[in-house]
Amino acid sequence: MIKREFWQQFDYLLFGSVLILCIFGIAMIQSAVAGNADIAGSVSRQVIFVIAGMIVLLLVSLIDYRYFSSVTRILYALSVLVLIAIYVIGTAVYGSARWFDTGVILIQPSELVKTIMIIILADYFSKTQFDPKNLQWILKGFFLTAGVVIWIFLQPNLSMSIVIFFIWFALLFYSGLPLKYLLIFAVVVVLVILIAFPRLADYQQLRVLNFIFPDPNASYGDNYNVEQAKISIGSGGLFGMGYGHGTQVQLRFLKVRHTDFIFSAMANEFGFIGTVIVIALLFFVVIRCFRIGLMASDLFGSLIAYGFGTLIFFQIAVNIGVNLNVIPVTGLTLPFISYGGSSLASLLLGIGFVESVSAHRHQNI
Amino acid sequence: MNQLGTEKKKVERWRIVFVFAVMVSVLLFYVYKLFSMQLVDGEVYAAQAEENRIKTISIATQRGILYDRNGYVLARNTASYNVVITPANLPGLDLEFPNGDVQQIYRELSALIGVPVDAGEINDETVRNFTPCYTDFGIKQIVYIGDTNAPFNPVKIKCNIPADIAMIIREKANTWPGVDIEIVPVRDYPTGELTAEVVGFLGPIPASVVDSYEAQGFVADRDKVGYAGIEATLDDQLIGINGERVVEVDGAGKTIRDVEVPVDPIPGNSIKLTIDTRLQSAAKTALINTMAAENLIRGEERYSVGVVIAMNPKTGEILSLVSHPTFENNRLARVIPADYFNQLQIDPRKPLFNHAISAEHPPGSVFKMGTAIGILNENVVTPEQVIFDPGRITILEKFTPNDPGTPRDYVCYLYKSTGAGHGDVDFIRGVAESCDVYFYKVGGGYAGEVPQGLGIWRIGEYSKALGYGALTGIELPGEADGLIPDPTWKRIFIGETWSTGDTYIATIGQGYVLATAIQVLVSFATLANDGIYMKPTLIKEILDSEGNVIKPFTPVQVRDITKDKVIHLYDENFLQTDEMISVQPWVIQKAKEGMREVVVNGTATKIFRNAPYESAGKTGTAEYCDDIAKKKDICYPGIWPAHAWYVGYAPYDDPEIVVLAFVYNGDEGSVVAGPIVRDVLTAYFELKNVDLGIETNP
Repeated sequence: MIKREFWQQFDYLLFGSVLILCIFGIAMIQSAVAGNADIAGSVSRQVIFVIAGMIVLLLVSLIDYRYFSSVTRILYALSVLVLIAIYVIGTAVYGSARWFDTGVILIQPSELVKTIMIIILADYFSKTQFDPKNLQWILKGFFLTAGVVIWIFLQPNLSMSIVIFFIWFALLFYSGLPLKYLLIFAVVVVLVILIAFPRLADYQQLRVLNFIFPDPNASYGDNYNVEQAKISIGSGGLFGMGYGHGTQVQLRFLKVRHTDFIFSAMANEFGFIGTVIVIALLFFVVIRCFRIGLMASDLFGSLIAYGFGTLIFFQIAVNIGVNLNVIPVTGLTLPFISYGGSSLASLLLGIGFVESVSAHRHQNI
Repeated sequence: MNQLGTEKKKVERWRIVFVFAVMVSVLLFYVYKLFSMQLVDGEVYAAQAEENRIKTISIATQRGILYDRNGYVLARNTASYNVVITPANLPGLDLEFPNGDVQQIYRELSALIGVPVDAGEINDETVRNFTPCYTDFGIKQIVYIGDTNAPFNPVKIKCNIPADIAMIIREKANTWPGVDIEIVPVRDYPTGELTAEVVGFLGPIPASVVDSYEAQGFVADRDKVGYAGIEATLDDQLIGINGERVVEVDGAGKTIRDVEVPVDPIPGNSIKLTIDTRLQSAAKTALINTMAAENLIRGEERYSVGVVIAMNPKTGEILSLVSHPTFENNRLARVIPADYFNQLQIDPRKPLFNHAISAEHPPGSVFKMGTAIGILNENVVTPEQVIFDPGRITILEKFTPNDPGTPRDYVCYLYKSTGAGHGDVDFIRGVAESCDVYFYKVGGGYAGEVPQGLGIWRIGEYSKALGYGALTGIELPGEADGLIPDPTWKRIFIGETWSTGDTYIATIGQGYVLATAIQVLVSFATLANDGIYMKPTLIKEILDSEGNVIKPFTPVQVRDITKDKVIHLYDENFLQTDEMISVQPWVIQKAKEGMREVVVNGTATKIFRNAPYESAGKTGTAEYCDDIAKKKDICYPGIWPAHAWYVGYAPYDDPEIVVLAFVYNGDEGSVVAGPIVRDVLTAYFELKNVDLGIETNP
């Protein structure tokens, strides 16, 4: 049934390292629960997510990625529909409507849309690969993206909006964005920031301002999480305090330690050596994606692999950057390791696409 | 490899390389950052993590208890309830999601304890002045301040709430996360105002000494120190030593476990005072009633400040010490309310001031006893020598020996009312009648009768031997040392030369002479005790927390003036020699006979006519003109206002109690002060009979 080539070209190293990261993530979440009853169920749920995600990954990789090219319109329409549906039947958690409550788990559709957008945009850029690289080409892609992002932005979910625009920009760049537009683009970004900032929600503005201009008289609460993350990382030292023995983690000084700040928890318990190994493994996943992109048989496949590799790296970079306090706090998770069903599902789905690109690279259209 | 590769466009290689380079540099930067945090600054962060985790909790110790001499409790510890909120434990203080629950809790709590939900303006000024328990802020503002400073530390919303309200709030603990009841020990004074001048009160550790107390393990906002009375002077005995727990806490501030073996607190020592509360009550009542009755007769609030002290002359035990008016120390026990404290401070009668030991007044005629033993011991006159008191004498006021002098009249108090003197007066009559002219003549000398008076230097020597001009060392804060003037002092502090007139008036305890009530008392106790000066003390025993005596009562003899050579001998030119002498026992005996005569046939005879005990004593009417009198415009030459003094002891042949009464602006000692002493002595002997089980029929 499945062709011999599939097994030959399937990237076992990519799959293997993702699997290791996911398992490590489960172990880390287990440690990060630290006796907190509210999040104690995270471990078993994450196990289910990983198993389900792995099955999805394998199933998707079996399908030739070229087929997805033909259904991008449907995927696009579905994405917008789902995002709009949230406003009607969604559940607000922490003040923004991002979730579908299925009764068992909360699903965050924007996470899935993020991965889907890679397919949609890769398709757009591969179909327009021979078109002139002019403003029209850029704007078309932009509005294609904006049509989806607008709904996410209004949730409001600023970080996800930025992520999807980043994907668009990355694919635009890979597809041959002329340098002069790159410069223009830089100018536009600056302008957008200047105009958009005053329109952000108060808490979003505060987060950014708080980061750029830390108030010396800031109350204990404002910087508490970041401060504790720094202490967690620093106190890990060379070898860490040991799994399940990180005082910052186990005594719950570190907050949101099973999701956004799991990197700090890791650094606290495994120290410099352990953390660098995990970073290396994460980067290895990125490298494998890029390698697949390099070897892909067409631009569509290449863009999927590059795009997804870039997305993973972006999430890694932003998440670790937040933990290290070099960029402001956002809600981005650490790929494969942080707790979160929707995030993990979309990542494994994406790896599935990349594996598909790898496994089906020598097939003719 | 790729069959169609040449036809298809591929991603330009440089773009991939560029992105790759960016990624690698970002990661290298992160690894560098990680390296600097974990390895370079690792120690610093590890210390911070340790500081997060390890908390030292001070376990409050129990302050020692104060008892009176019969074991009656004067100061003890009871519980007080404070409402506290731990800001971090309140539901939803998240900026993103202002939670309605908190408002609900505030509203319900506010209804229970009467602190408004929202009151006062938060700004630098008001926040700096914020003091828990003493604030006008609403709950919201207090929590805001607490949250800003230390969200995991409970902040006091209201202090000292009734126990039943505290119970209600405790039951709500589950539904009101973050709200709690803090139980703190507070001082309770069962005898309150009756013994406040002796017991004193507590207050928070003053900012100026916080460091040294914290070094000893005390907690600034929790532990209290003595501010007045025995609570202040014996603070180091009473305060105890706090215990300590080193614990591991979690992020919510919850204690997980002990990291080190806890150190138990050591309770403070208890102290049994020499005070007899019953006698204290009798003394205070006698003072207040006498003043009130005399005020009623005169139809004006004339007498308002007074002192009564009773002491055992043989041991120095102070049996009662009354300084009126005083304060209600229970009102200062939990918090020091600003309004009450201000009221005490602006009261012209100075209730916070211990008049018995801190107030310096002219002693008047009670001071004559120093002069009296001096003239006999120095052979200025013999006891039998008769001196004539015409009622008024004229003496030349001289500033130098060769000064021709200006004549100045000195009158006996009797002269003022009758225009006559005491006539022929010997030593006993001089004391008994408190004859001013007798003492002028023997103190300053008088041509024809007393060739050479005792003189100011020797008056000073004998007065000081009896305890004037020096601290007695009683265990109360703020004791004053009085003043025995001499020519050197006057030169330095007044800038004038000593005159002969100064000596005459100093002889009778007027002019520059100042003494505290406790000094006057001690001087009489020394005479009553045959010249043995016992240190006055309020401490009977020191007990440990289990009631075992760790320091039994030990009377301290300061000196025996009949044996210890404490008097400088002066030559004929009043220059001090190196030779020291003591007071001859017969001199003391004569002084005692004189004081007995005061009661038998003298200035206090009427008052003690029916007393069921044999007593001795001395009246004093000390003219003064201080700031208050000047303000009232009652200082007129010849009719200055006067303080009333009386000191008596009993039984005469074997004195066991000396009592002093002093009434500020009290006029004649025999009229106002005498009856107070009589009543206290009567109460003392009645109480003695009660203690001995003897029935008495008053």
